[in-house]
Amino acid sequence: MASVAAALKGTRTALSGALGTWLFLAGTILVLAVLLLPKVISNPAFFIQILIYGVANGAIFALIALGYTMVYGIIELINFAHGDIFTLGAFIAIPLIGVFGFTDSTPFSVGVVLVLLLVTAAVMVIDGGINMAIERLAYRPLRSAPRLAILITAVGMSFVLEGAMYVWRGANNVHFPDLLPGTRISFLGASLGVKDLIVIGSAVILVVSLNVFITNSKLGKAMRATAQDREAAQLMGININRTIAATFFIGAALAAAGGIIFGLYFNNIRFDEGFTAGLFAFTAAVFGGIGNIQGAALGGLFIGLVQAFSNAYYQAALTDVWIFAILILVLVFRPAGLLGMQVPEK
Amino acid sequence: MSRPLLRGDTAMRWAMGTFKDRNRTIYTLLIIGALLFPSFADVTTGGAGNHLVSTAADAGIYVLLAIGLNVVVGFAGLLDLGYAAFFAIGAYSYGLLASGQLSGSPLHAEFHFPFWVLLLVAMFVAASFGAILGAPTLRLRGDYLAIVTLGFGEIVPRIFRFLGAGSPLGNWTGGVNGIAAIDSPKLPAFITGPWFGTPIKVVAPFDFGDSNWAPMDFYVLILILVAICVVLVTNLHNSRIGRAWMAVREDEVAAAASGINTVAIKLLAFAIGASFAGFAGCFYGAKLSYVSSENFEFVVSVSILIMVVLGGMGNIPGVILGALTIFFVQFFVLTNLPDYAVAASNAVGLGFLNQSTGGWVGLHDEVQRLNYIVFGLILVVVMLLRPQGLFPSRIREQELEKGTTEEAVFDVREATD
Amino acid sequence: MRLSKLLAGLALASVVLAACGTTGGGGTANKGTIKIGVDLPESGAETSNGIPTLNGVKFAVDQVKSVDGFTLQYFNLDDAVNGVHDPQKGTQNVQQFIDDKAVLGMIGPFNSNVARAEIKVTNQAHLVQISPANTNQCLTKDIYIPQSLSGVPDVDCKAAGYPFPKDLRPTGTNNYFRVATTDDFQGPAMSDYAYNKLNLKKVGVASDAEAYGKGIADTFSIRFKKDGGTIVKRQDFPNASHVSDFRSFLRSALAAGAEGIYFGGTDSNNACVVRNQMKGIFPDSAPFMGGDGIVTGQCIKDAADKVVGMNGTVATVAAEKVSGSQATIDAFKKAYPNSNDYGAYTMPAYDATKILIAAIDRAIKANNNNMPSRQQVLDAMSKTDFTGVLGHTSFDDKGDTTNKVITVYAVKDASKGWEVDTTVDLSHGL
Repeated sequence: MASVAAALKGTRTALSGALGTWLFLAGTILVLAVLLLPKVISNPAFFIQILIYGVANGAIFALIALGYTMVYGIIELINFAHGDIFTLGAFIAIPLIGVFGFTDSTPFSVGVVLVLLLVTAAVMVIDGGINMAIERLAYRPLRSAPRLAILITAVGMSFVLEGAMYVWRGANNVHFPDLLPGTRISFLGASLGVKDLIVIGSAVILVVSLNVFITNSKLGKAMRATAQDREAAQLMGININRTIAATFFIGAALAAAGGIIFGLYFNNIRFDEGFTAGLFAFTAAVFGGIGNIQGAALGGLFIGLVQAFSNAYYQAALTDVWIFAILILVLVFRPAGLLGMQVPEK
Repeated sequence: MSRPLLRGDTAMRWAMGTFKDRNRTIYTLLIIGALLFPSFADVTTGGAGNHLVSTAADAGIYVLLAIGLNVVVGFAGLLDLGYAAFFAIGAYSYGLLASGQLSGSPLHAEFHFPFWVLLLVAMFVAASFGAILGAPTLRLRGDYLAIVTLGFGEIVPRIFRFLGAGSPLGNWTGGVNGIAAIDSPKLPAFITGPWFGTPIKVVAPFDFGDSNWAPMDFYVLILILVAICVVLVTNLHNSRIGRAWMAVREDEVAAAASGINTVAIKLLAFAIGASFAGFAGCFYGAKLSYVSSENFEFVVSVSILIMVVLGGMGNIPGVILGALTIFFVQFFVLTNLPDYAVAASNAVGLGFLNQSTGGWVGLHDEVQRLNYIVFGLILVVVMLLRPQGLFPSRIREQELEKGTTEEAVFDVREATD
Repeated sequence: MRLSKLLAGLALASVVLAACGTTGGGGTANKGTIKIGVDLPESGAETSNGIPTLNGVKFAVDQVKSVDGFTLQYFNLDDAVNGVHDPQKGTQNVQQFIDDKAVLGMIGPFNSNVARAEIKVTNQAHLVQISPANTNQCLTKDIYIPQSLSGVPDVDCKAAGYPFPKDLRPTGTNNYFRVATTDDFQGPAMSDYAYNKLNLKKVGVASDAEAYGKGIADTFSIRFKKDGGTIVKRQDFPNASHVSDFRSFLRSALAAGAEGIYFGGTDSNNACVVRNQMKGIFPDSAPFMGGDGIVTGQCIKDAADKVVGMNGTVATVAAEKVSGSQATIDAFKKAYPNSNDYGAYTMPAYDATKILIAAIDRAIKANNNNMPSRQQVLDAMSKTDFTGVLGHTSFDDKGDTTNKVITVYAVKDASKGWEVDTTVDLSHGL
């Protein structure tokens, strides 16, 4: 037992730090290459198709994962209600789009784009506000209580949000209007949907702007400072409550945008959609290194790709098993995740 | 810093002053309650109380689970979000080795081992899985361990579901169909009475699946199992190991400095916790005579965790009450809530609400839809009012009241390995 | 403490209250009350299955009101916990029916795996159980896949990993009946339809990996191969209700040459989302096939602009096609006006209830117009000879309906929704 533990510790030390990041990335790419290369050669067009699906799904996971990672980074809470905030975004958007009378048969036009942007902005604000309210009512009073208490309220809020959507729209799938163009482009033998590209593009824009915001803005700096050391940040004159509230707002706004993108992409959403999506997104956040923005984005992408490839080339029944097995392996060998900071060993 | 219900706590201590030892009082009440429950059920339902006794026996399974998880979460301070996996492992261990299931597997042989042996086997198998999972991961910081267990909890039911008909490895677990027609426990002889409402008599041989005795026999059995477990866990808690768990929970570095092998002691907690789940799973399979992977999902893990936290982590009688309360809410109050609402509206002359008209689907269905919200609100409100749980352990309570620990119980930033 | 006292008080109060349960319906006859237990999933994501089925029972009881001077009531319990059907809750419910001396029979459950846990309990109490919706063959039959279907020797239930029906019936006599035919007919019926009428030679098959979905997908595949076709891609999606993207499956099926897709599963497990996602991947003419799980209104909503070209089998006679039944359907839709009130199993549940009531009636008469015992109802039940909205029903010695008819539905016109296409009579085997 002792030797196993020592070996583990050795591996873990070797794998932490910058070298580990590269080793890890190289290892992952190598494994993927060995598993996928024969498939790529046998049918490259099909591979590209699946790749695009994986990237698009990964982009949506990434948008949810950002909220998990930010909230965990700042108050170390696994916010179980976050996945439902994602679903809620799509649910709020449906009637708002309905106001403009858009349906499946509405042709794609500049008007549609403008309305979608407007609706997305509105939903981001509404959903962000709801998440702030949840933080204020259910999490803030428990900030100094035992950590598990706040975890349980998060589970409770998840039930409440799911319940609210269930009462609102019922237990079945709710149709989300198909407003994006169905045009397909031929690319290296594969037929790519413009829809796929729009989804990937908008997710990239959101992730990049969040990253710029976190690194450059005053609030972003305050958030990073609070995440690093709450007391010290407070001493430096940072309003902790406001910063945490802002974190919840931004996380929810991104998840809401993710929800709308999901709705536009798949055209069906259900009240409990956020549960599994949230679980995968959380896995993505941990995989990338919890607390790390780029890590969450990368993790989301990775999960999306694993899912798509496993579904297409291997047993769909085991896809989730692979994803969670990877999660456990990452935690065992490199607890800080792909891009996370080195964990000091005492 | 918020101290919700400070005055409530004062009132509680005053109320408690009337008893010397709160835990002893709870135990006494629980024992009296458990003994009287069958007669109570019988009387209140006019002689049709069997289903209540059966449900109470099911509740006993969750009491066992909560006691086991309490060892991990409450005593050793390790957060386990995939506890249902061990429950599943226990249930499947029994299901596979006490039914015809394996005759369809590549083994082409079926096993019918006795329940009493398999009870120990299931415990051992679950504990082994706990150790296998724990060994490489227990050095991780608290929350990372939680995530590993969460992943494990997701993997186990999926693998049980995958290993059914048509899997490349053959049909081992019955896949989505689960394992049915599982043997019921048997004894060479057992006393029927006075609890069966009959005079004391020895029946030999005794079959627990016999409808003459069911579900009372399972109720008696689970009471005995729970009692054994409570005694075991209480002794453990008061032993050197229990003190070591507490030390590790409160300050791992200090515990290691004072000579405690922290990894071994955490591993022990993890394995013991898992073994209780195996125990409970075995009983579950035997009573239900059916095991299916979809009943060991994440929501079950969370429910058990809620039982532990709500009851008061670390305090065994508190955890038992927590388990009973949550079971009661989930299996009873929530499923019956629509009927209560209908009865209430009829009673106050609002019977028209019960009719379905256009957008309104009738009070019954409307209330049914509120299930999730009601359960969620119960969790949030109870935690906001009593973050330490309904009946916290004395030590925890003092810490919280005197504010000696500003840091949370699961503070992981300091407790790295 | 105050809170916990409150909880304890509440607990006590509701135990007493719960003992009463819900009952409904009933007339004013005065010889006593006879109750019909109903165990269905009534909450969470499964509402769409349970409630329309429950409505069928309610409608039947409300119509009949009393039998031979006994007031008739239904007594429904929900077997879903946290929104998922739960065998443990199911057995608690049947135990509650057994305790209530007025319950002489029960309707349900909806899910085959709940049935597997319940039958053992109801069997020992001699309580008649009649399910409107269970289709897994091993609940009643010893053979999982008969030779007539596959061309290779019989695969019995045990070999397929199911217990034999006798293992679930400790008393040795059958107490479980059903009005739906089994999965080993539904899959093949669609297979023949696909091969002969839709002219498909290569099909991609997927399922939601549940007992029902996987069962019909398996039997479809076996029969399709025997018919001469090829299954080019087969995949099961556990947790299909949480899968949002089926496109990589569809792409790989297309790449392998599939001309159509068969999905074994229910709309609550996203079966018809699969259809919707065929858009942009398969040509518009490629058909989508499934079992009764997709012949629903919700499926039409989920498939959205891809409804045309869907084909589904229902394991019972289409009540709409039985002469004289349309009046009952119209009356039902008048009493239950919401579109979600009516489902594929509403009329089967209605007929199942009527069959049970008829058996109770015969048992009462045989018992000199006194309250019969459960055993007497059971005896009467096995002699069922009933004509109702599904046509003529009687039961074989295993408890299966002899009315083995599969109805194939198709959507040909988006505005009309599901329409009956053909009826396949399988009473004399495949």
